[in-house]
Amino acid sequence: MRAFRNPDVLWREEDESKAQAYEELEKGEDVEAIGTSVLFSDGVMLSLNLIATEIWKLCDGRDVNEIIADLTGRFEVDPDVLSKDATTFLSELKQKGFIYYED
Amino acid sequence: MKTNNFLKAPLTINWAVTNRCNFKCRHCYSRTDPTQELDSGTLFACIEKVISAGVLSVNFGGGEPLLRNELLEISAFSADRGLRVSMNSNGYLIDRKRALDLKAAGFSKVGISLDSHVPEVHDNFRGIRGSHKKAISALTHLAGAGIKTSISTVICKINHQSIEELTEFAGRHGVHQLNFHNFKCSGLGYSNKDELDLSSQEWKEFYIKAMKTKQEVKGLEISLDDPIIASLGMKTETDSFVKGSVCGKLSLNIKSNGDITPCGFIPIVIGNIVSDELKQIWDKSPVLERMRNKKPTGKCSSCKSYEDCLGGCSARALALTGDFNNPDPHCWVHEP
Repeated sequence: MRAFRNPDVLWREEDESKAQAYEELEKGEDVEAIGTSVLFSDGVMLSLNLIATEIWKLCDGRDVNEIIADLTGRFEVDPDVLSKDATTFLSELKQKGFIYYED
Repeated sequence: MKTNNFLKAPLTINWAVTNRCNFKCRHCYSRTDPTQELDSGTLFACIEKVISAGVLSVNFGGGEPLLRNELLEISAFSADRGLRVSMNSNGYLIDRKRALDLKAAGFSKVGISLDSHVPEVHDNFRGIRGSHKKAISALTHLAGAGIKTSISTVICKINHQSIEELTEFAGRHGVHQLNFHNFKCSGLGYSNKDELDLSSQEWKEFYIKAMKTKQEVKGLEISLDDPIIASLGMKTETDSFVKGSVCGKLSLNIKSNGDITPCGFIPIVIGNIVSDELKQIWDKSPVLERMRNKKPTGKCSSCKSYEDCLGGCSARALALTGDFNNPDPHCWVHEP
């Protein structure tokens, strides 16, 4: 199933935080706690870290496997861990109505 | 994968495009605000400014925003440049044609103020006969035009025991969201607070009932924006993102003359959108810095809910104690 961002969701990347995250990543630091984007819709808000933001941005009609393949090519992450985390994250986005799926 | 972080700019601007109003509400926060209005050219330049800073949405208010002649042009200008546009109105001037015009001008959501499900109570409180009927009519026309609607109710003596009735009313009129706003004691709300404001115990009882209703009701989002509900184990809609008041953390307020304040209920001017850069104010304002880093004082010092409520509503603390860092006077938690 292909994932799409709900166009009603407002979002933006936080440039300074994103730059900081990449800087830390270069040093081999853990960047999980650094928010690089914010999403909100009807009072529900989410702050996403670097990987989560990239997953969100890839919800443009790709399926989960394509999203994971894209990320594993760009980030040094364990594919199994990423697959599990991404699936959980996408489920949450779906549950909140931030994304929808089409066949 | 979720984190908390600090934003580069407000997500939302609450923008008073006029301070003129056709109503005489007994709790109005803005009757003493400046009457000067930015001309459209200046306003457009200021809207460009907030877009450049990264703001995503703008909520027009006032006064009654529909009394601003160029409101449709202002909305269209904003929406065409990517801002999500909404408005708070008393609904009196919204007929079918106006609703369609608002839709065409890019309004995605309009909140209608409604203080009671009982027409006479609402009309008396708003100072205009027939205003309740007009508000209902506005909700119908807006929905018909494809605009999401919400009802905004400021909780006070006239309605705090009408949660079920207000909820049923909102559901019956097909609104998307019912906002129960806390009473701020600003402007006329301060002058009339003895008559209108609730006691701490009444606030506690209201929130317990409101939260129960929120959990039970289907198909209607009930919003409670008061951080003091943390002591009841409850959370505001934005709790996972920011604690305490959202003013100066997620949003800012701009008055009709361009003055910027942390929120509409805090009369501390921290800049002016015509002459100042929004990002500079957002990043450097000592007032915002202090609001974002409140320190527990008085009974807050030993309160286990402080880390979630951060002293409650900053506007109310400022209005009633003179310092927004003080404990929210509405808070029912006693000192140990």
